[in-house]
Amino acid sequence: MSDKTANTQQSSGTVQTTGHAWDGDLQEYNNPLPRWWLWCFYGTIVFSILYWFVYPSWPVGDTWIKGTGTVDYTVVDKGTGKEQAKEYRWNTRSLLLEDLGAAATDPQRKAMLAKVEAADYDQIVKDPKMMEFVRSVGKGLFGDNCAACHGRGGQGVVGLYPNLTDDDWLWGGKMAKINETLMQGRKGFMPAFGPVLKPEQLDDVAEYVLTLSNEAQPSEASARGKEIFQGQVGGCYYCHGADAKGLPSQGSANLTDKIWAIVNIPALKTPQEKQAALKTFISNGVNNTRVMPAWKDRLSSTDIKLLAVYVHQLSGVK
Amino acid sequence: MAQSSALPAEQYNYDIVRKFTIMAMVWAVLGMSVGVYIASELAWPFLNFDIPQLTFGRLRPVHTTLVIFGFGGSALFATSYYVVQRTCQARLAFPWVAEFTFWGWTGGVALGALSYVSGITQGREYAEFEWPLDIAITLVWVSYFAVYVETIRRRSQPHIYVANWFYLAFIVAVALLHIFNNLAVPISLTKSYSLFSGVQDAMTQWWYGHNAVGFFLTAAFLGMMYYFVPKQAGRPVYSYRLSIIHFWALIFLYMWAGGHHLHWTSLPDWVSTLAATFSIILLMPSWGGMINGIMTLSGAWDKLRSDPIMLFLITSLSFYGMSTFEGPLMSLKSVNALSHYTDWTIGHVHSGALGWVALVSFGSFYHLIPRLWEKKMYSQTLIYVHFWLATIGIVLYITSMWVAGIGQGLMLRSFDDYGNLAYTFIETVEFMHTPYVWRALGGAFFVSGVLVMVYNMAMTLRAARREQADVEAKLAAKLAKA
Repeated sequence: MSDKTANTQQSSGTVQTTGHAWDGDLQEYNNPLPRWWLWCFYGTIVFSILYWFVYPSWPVGDTWIKGTGTVDYTVVDKGTGKEQAKEYRWNTRSLLLEDLGAAATDPQRKAMLAKVEAADYDQIVKDPKMMEFVRSVGKGLFGDNCAACHGRGGQGVVGLYPNLTDDDWLWGGKMAKINETLMQGRKGFMPAFGPVLKPEQLDDVAEYVLTLSNEAQPSEASARGKEIFQGQVGGCYYCHGADAKGLPSQGSANLTDKIWAIVNIPALKTPQEKQAALKTFISNGVNNTRVMPAWKDRLSSTDIKLLAVYVHQLSGVK
Repeated sequence: MAQSSALPAEQYNYDIVRKFTIMAMVWAVLGMSVGVYIASELAWPFLNFDIPQLTFGRLRPVHTTLVIFGFGGSALFATSYYVVQRTCQARLAFPWVAEFTFWGWTGGVALGALSYVSGITQGREYAEFEWPLDIAITLVWVSYFAVYVETIRRRSQPHIYVANWFYLAFIVAVALLHIFNNLAVPISLTKSYSLFSGVQDAMTQWWYGHNAVGFFLTAAFLGMMYYFVPKQAGRPVYSYRLSIIHFWALIFLYMWAGGHHLHWTSLPDWVSTLAATFSIILLMPSWGGMINGIMTLSGAWDKLRSDPIMLFLITSLSFYGMSTFEGPLMSLKSVNALSHYTDWTIGHVHSGALGWVALVSFGSFYHLIPRLWEKKMYSQTLIYVHFWLATIGIVLYITSMWVAGIGQGLMLRSFDDYGNLAYTFIETVEFMHTPYVWRALGGAFFVSGVLVMVYNMAMTLRAARREQADVEAKLAAKLAKA
């Protein structure tokens, strides 16, 4: 086989092939391993061996090399608020404790939290420093917990989730009320009037409701509708009020403010379409479709207080 | 010694190589187009049109399966069947079994894609095939092994060429990975539950997943490289010694590294550490292949100016070197804390998949096609066009994913003065829109390059067929006269 060796100039000297040839001209030089390559390879091995002694690594029997690395962290007692410095060997759990401890003991954050906890809503709103803190905490809280339904900016989805950026509040827009909404959740309800009213009556009520926000001109039909709305046949005024401005205690909508949370009336073009859409809605009512979960078991009362201020300021009302 | 170029049609089985080569290109066009579509869905979500079959979740495994197993797998079958015959100087053993591997593999990939679109999947990344297809694939793979080993056994060469070690390691390792990761309890024809549970299930999956990269997408394509680079360059491989050392190091080390896909999860810390360190030690053995390939051209660098095929092969090795440097870096726990669950990972995978796997396959095919159909490529210029479209596409893809991934990673861990998170998750999604658009564009560049290649290949095949028809007509005329 050595008769097939070829010579060539490789690196510094003359390098021979291994003497094998395949498929006509396929051959291999027998160059030594590049030095830099070999030293880098040894380097990675040395690095890894050191790494194994610093961090948890090889299993040995029913335990493992625990590593010399340690993590310092602070534990805050939830009850007393007392801080205690601790040290433990490096692992994922002690790293998490380090992060949690750092967040809980950050002096600026602690001071602001204490201040906001002690203040009432009016004091918070009047203090620019506290409002800056509210927006800092609230952005994350809202983004992680509320934005999935209400949208990142609180704009909501017509028909599904209320818009929080206007000044129309189904359950009341005072910060204490928003706090209550967050704590216990809400469940919107309106009975279905399909089984109660005749189709002509539903037409009339729909026509009347449209006149309340100038979406239709008063007519004979709307007059008949008003009678049903304000009388015992429909009884709509029980919840929506005789002035049709809604009752926050019932979560009933204000029908006069031209803000449509469920049926997107302004988006419909013809009066017939508007009336038909509203009629369908009144026949079906609202049942188990407009539910907001309670947050009292998921967020701390301070978080909810901060969120109430944050949501309130989204509406732009001072 | 018989001259290998003499009467290849009779000496070697080229029919099976041609079939796999054509199917590889079919899968490339389909799989990469699906890739561009799902990349566009991420940039413009309306593109799923609320049709379940078109959603990202169902099309994504279609994309990965078609490009890895369809395109990559067929390219490996084609080149390994070609290389094993030529370097062993033996005709492919068991021709009917080899034929079965073609129909079995092609059918398996097609059925797999259809099942994912219908929502049938094991939910294991790169192993989504449900159990009946897993069994079918196992049969195909065992047949592949039998054909390959028997061909090597029948060799008329005393030594086994290095390319065959890599191909064989790939065949053996993939059989092992496929079988163990897919052990499951079937409850119906279309549904099964993994035999493993919890973190052990995750570990088994990523032992599989990382070695799918290591053996399917690395070792096997190194086998391809070890034949086509020295052949195309017309020069001996740089170092036999390096090839032995890096082969065994690669084979030994890859098996340990899978755990780095599960950093910062419930995987025990010690497993995580071992996975990270073995990934670091893996760097130099990976680079051994790159050095051996690139240095083969040492002394003939001018070929890069005159030979577009060499350009494909050497660029593929450069991307290989880059992504095997990036991989160990990302496997360090501290880097992984930033990169994990971001698009940096996606960019890393594609610098390997597009830059290395696809480019080395295209280069090898451009070498292979004229020899399989005995006709020069229709256009040399179009090979250059393909090269530049592909390279621009890869660079756009990788850089946009670096921006998206590192950007999102940094946003998710930045805090304001009060120690609160500075960004919400949705803000990071909004930030990623622009890089997503660039990524889709990069993918479109890459696919258009593939379409140029398909055109070039189709024109070559047409010319070859016409030439053959002419020869046959002349022969028939001569026979008629006589």
